[in-house]
Amino acid sequence: MSHFIKNRVLSPCNMRMKSLIVFIKTNAIITVFVLFSSTIFAQKVVRYDLYVKDTLVHFAGKEKRAIAVNGQIPMPTLTFTEGDTAEIHVHNQLKEETSLHWHGLFLPNKEDGVPNLTQMPIWPNTTHIYRFPIIQNGTHWYHSHSGLQEQIGMYGNFVMLKRPSSPSFRKGIDDLPTLPIVLSEWTNLNPENIHRMLHNANDYPALKKNSVQSYGEAISAGHFKTKMKNEWKRMMAMDVSDVYYEKIFMNGLPSSELKSISGNELKGGDKVRLRISNGGASSYFWLTYAGGKITVVANDGNDVEPVEVDRLIIAVSETYDVIVTIPAEKTAYEFLATTEDRTNSASIYIGNGIKQLKSPLPRLKYFEGMKMMNDMMKMNGELDDMGMAMSLNQMDMNVVMYPEITGDAKPKQDDNDPNRYNANALGDLVTLNYAMLKSPTITALPKEAPIKELYFKLSGNMNRYVWSLDNKVVSEADKILIKKGENVRIVIYNGSMMRHPMHLHGHDFRLLNGQGQNAPLKNIVDIMPMETDTLEFNANVEGDWFFHCHILYHMMSGMGRVFSYENQLPNPLIPNPKLAQRKLFADDRGFHFMAENDFATNGNDGMAMLQNTRWSIGSEWRLGYHDSHGYEVETHIGRYMGKMQWLMPFIGFDWRYRKFGIDEQETNLFGQSNSKDLRSLVTVGVNYTLPLLIVGQAEIYHDGNIRFQLMREDMPITKRLRMSFMLNTDKEYMAGFRYIVNKNMGITSHYDSDMGFGAGITFSY
Amino acid sequence: MAMALMLSISTCFAEIKNAKEETVHIYGNCSICKSTIESAANVKDVVQVEWNKDTKMAVLTYDEKQTNQDEILKRIGLAGYDSDKFLAPDNVYAKLETCCQYERAAKIIAKIEASKAVNLAVEEKVVAPILEIKTEGEQLQLKEVFNSYFAVKDALVKTDGTLAATKAVLLLNSINAVKMENLTKEEHSEWMKVMKDLVFDAEHISETKDAGHQRDHFTSLSKNMYSLIKVSKQETPTYYQFCPMANKGKGANWLAKEKIVKNPYYGSKMLGCGKTVETIN
Repeated sequence: MSHFIKNRVLSPCNMRMKSLIVFIKTNAIITVFVLFSSTIFAQKVVRYDLYVKDTLVHFAGKEKRAIAVNGQIPMPTLTFTEGDTAEIHVHNQLKEETSLHWHGLFLPNKEDGVPNLTQMPIWPNTTHIYRFPIIQNGTHWYHSHSGLQEQIGMYGNFVMLKRPSSPSFRKGIDDLPTLPIVLSEWTNLNPENIHRMLHNANDYPALKKNSVQSYGEAISAGHFKTKMKNEWKRMMAMDVSDVYYEKIFMNGLPSSELKSISGNELKGGDKVRLRISNGGASSYFWLTYAGGKITVVANDGNDVEPVEVDRLIIAVSETYDVIVTIPAEKTAYEFLATTEDRTNSASIYIGNGIKQLKSPLPRLKYFEGMKMMNDMMKMNGELDDMGMAMSLNQMDMNVVMYPEITGDAKPKQDDNDPNRYNANALGDLVTLNYAMLKSPTITALPKEAPIKELYFKLSGNMNRYVWSLDNKVVSEADKILIKKGENVRIVIYNGSMMRHPMHLHGHDFRLLNGQGQNAPLKNIVDIMPMETDTLEFNANVEGDWFFHCHILYHMMSGMGRVFSYENQLPNPLIPNPKLAQRKLFADDRGFHFMAENDFATNGNDGMAMLQNTRWSIGSEWRLGYHDSHGYEVETHIGRYMGKMQWLMPFIGFDWRYRKFGIDEQETNLFGQSNSKDLRSLVTVGVNYTLPLLIVGQAEIYHDGNIRFQLMREDMPITKRLRMSFMLNTDKEYMAGFRYIVNKNMGITSHYDSDMGFGAGITFSY
Repeated sequence: MAMALMLSISTCFAEIKNAKEETVHIYGNCSICKSTIESAANVKDVVQVEWNKDTKMAVLTYDEKQTNQDEILKRIGLAGYDSDKFLAPDNVYAKLETCCQYERAAKIIAKIEASKAVNLAVEEKVVAPILEIKTEGEQLQLKEVFNSYFAVKDALVKTDGTLAATKAVLLLNSINAVKMENLTKEEHSEWMKVMKDLVFDAEHISETKDAGHQRDHFTSLSKNMYSLIKVSKQETPTYYQFCPMANKGKGANWLAKEKIVKNPYYGSKMLGCGKTVETIN
């Protein structure tokens, strides 16, 4: 709000008279301004009441808990016109806290909806009112910013229309029949469980998606060397997405029909504008259309010069406005949104008549992708872009995996085959990239403002699911201070192996993409591995603004930062900033639990672990059924070191008891006398992840004994078969197999030097 | 045969619960179509489809609690076979065996207003007014050379070695057809410098069908074309583009008439790799 009343300094001499005159003058000015403003700002107040409630849904074969607002999923579409004042009453009828964030909106910081940063959470059985003027237009969306609620239904369309008299109104674009679509996913798993499984590197989702990439599959695809090299470089099989979803939705439905808009039936020749928001928690979607070309007219709620493409990928939380045409009479054309991993899709049929289908995108060629990753990854975990200087999604390295561009996978391909580059007619499909977006207006920042340059390197570790900026998560980093009025320029390099949609709250930024003064305005930028992107914005609205990867599970793991304006007024909604910050940091400091136990004929073999971003507390046990088998429990408390977290020093405690069992060894490999039959020792040691993902361990016991151990678990032999082995300098060894039956159960058999051969069932959590 | 069929049907049906039976029309020709349709549609214990290749009618039997007719017909459509509800994608239909390609009803194409959208590939092909007639003669000669060069480039973008070889022959012909007297002074001196190498590279490209080998020669061909086009006035802008990874990491250039980068050294494997380093007007 600007100040209508200027400060006046009164001279002490004529104070009385002057003060009277000033009083009258000031009041007159105030009165005039108030009258003036009331005519300008007396636009509509548009009020929405949102009732947030628990619900049960039956989307994919099982009855599961979800959250519905006003009885629906997705949340109701909120529509405003630029100039309105939005007033949204959120009635929290859940048993837990909630919040609503208005993605991409310019508003006062306290209306931004980030719990513990811009407001305290909306407590159960309370109502919170968000009120702010609408000072922009475009396609946006809104979602919960509390926990993982976004995954189970709290997402919805948020559309702000242009004033018809607006000079930026585009004929033939802004006057078309339009439909807002919010894309989303559904999983039958509890999102908290998904988050936990991701942190425990549980590859069950890969099993469901058929992307395990085991040695067996590698051999039949002729890629054994590729798989070996991949594990030699200490990588785990990678997919473009981490989570398995049973259903994909457009506005809550996997398949729907668009036969008419605003009462007008759609027919051949009609153009339709789709306002598409990606409300998915972790999925990118390919958008394709059976009726031909797609014309992109806006991105992240900002107009762009129309550009015609065959397909585009929409990143998590991004929005795109596209125009499609119905080419023929009496036909409804399929508009398809396919997940980046190609496992699932949602469709809407536009038009009236027989449904014209679009060819689905074929499954990825995973081993080609693995080969590409091998070439891009150095042994120390750093990425090598081989001088390509990539940016703006212009070069999609994943294209080696797309059969529709580079042809079908060929088993046992010879690298010296001169015909290995196959001509492919589809090779000239035009895919949208950021360099093709141009703003119709000049977006240059104020020239006189000072520039503050920042550099971030996105970092991440798939094996431990740690995602960060400059290897620091939110709770480990200071707030980034910026000054109101300065231009902030951020250069981001993605040094991780996954693409990330980086989102800035409260501001649009210019994405420098070669369009000069007409750089497009966005609020999220998708950065692929090894890309460098530059974005800049003018710091013009004070507050604490979140900047984070919008993949929900990465955000909750701490991939973000807080931009904080210096000398800002305290936020009236946060009475205790220190407490609020502790709660904000708690998100990425949480511990994740996993446990498993093998009930076998030769004893119980199991482990339990509590771990978070940097720490791990774990116990392993081998409990036989009688004294001659023996019992042992080893507990380690360790801290992961380094960016790749291959090194983990620990302290531990080792206890075991055995009475004259088989395979008695008097001394270990170093000739030290063995305390196998009764041991109760404190240890200090270090774990290190070696090539082929073998964990090497070196330990010293407080009685002076030393032990070295090599262990590999869960080596994927086939899709469902895993192998493990262990051997150490105490002359113990173990080898075994596990067949995965489902998420929590497997059938095992193994041989243990202490306990002999056994078979059993493993239960895991 | 019919008996065996009947028996097999009855045993299959026994496994589908909540069975609903419907008869629908599905286009197709022969027994290959029948097996494609049925294997696309059938789901163990959920869907069983029996298509008759003479009547073109299919009997669908499915568990109505787990699926519906639309899901079944969509799968059949995606396998290439039209029904009354779904039309197969054209590219899937085109891949069917020739004997299977049943007759399809033509669509009634609607009249569409001219699109205001910018098609980036088309944008640059705007034809400029013809220049003075005096120079038209020379223009045409070199223009032929350049056009043939672009044809070779486009073939390499598609990684089509056979096509590139054919286009290289045309390039060779256009080079040999140039009459040096008709060139301007600058063009003439440049032509003297590069002509032999142009012939050399064009010949080698025409003599092999291996795109990799052709691309090696394309590096030097492009460099010489660049110096030639720099001194030769063209009607529309030409873009000089660069890929740092080509030529075994040393980087290589090429000329193009479209601004949007389509890499001739990598084709679809890395179509967008590269950027415009110079615009020649």
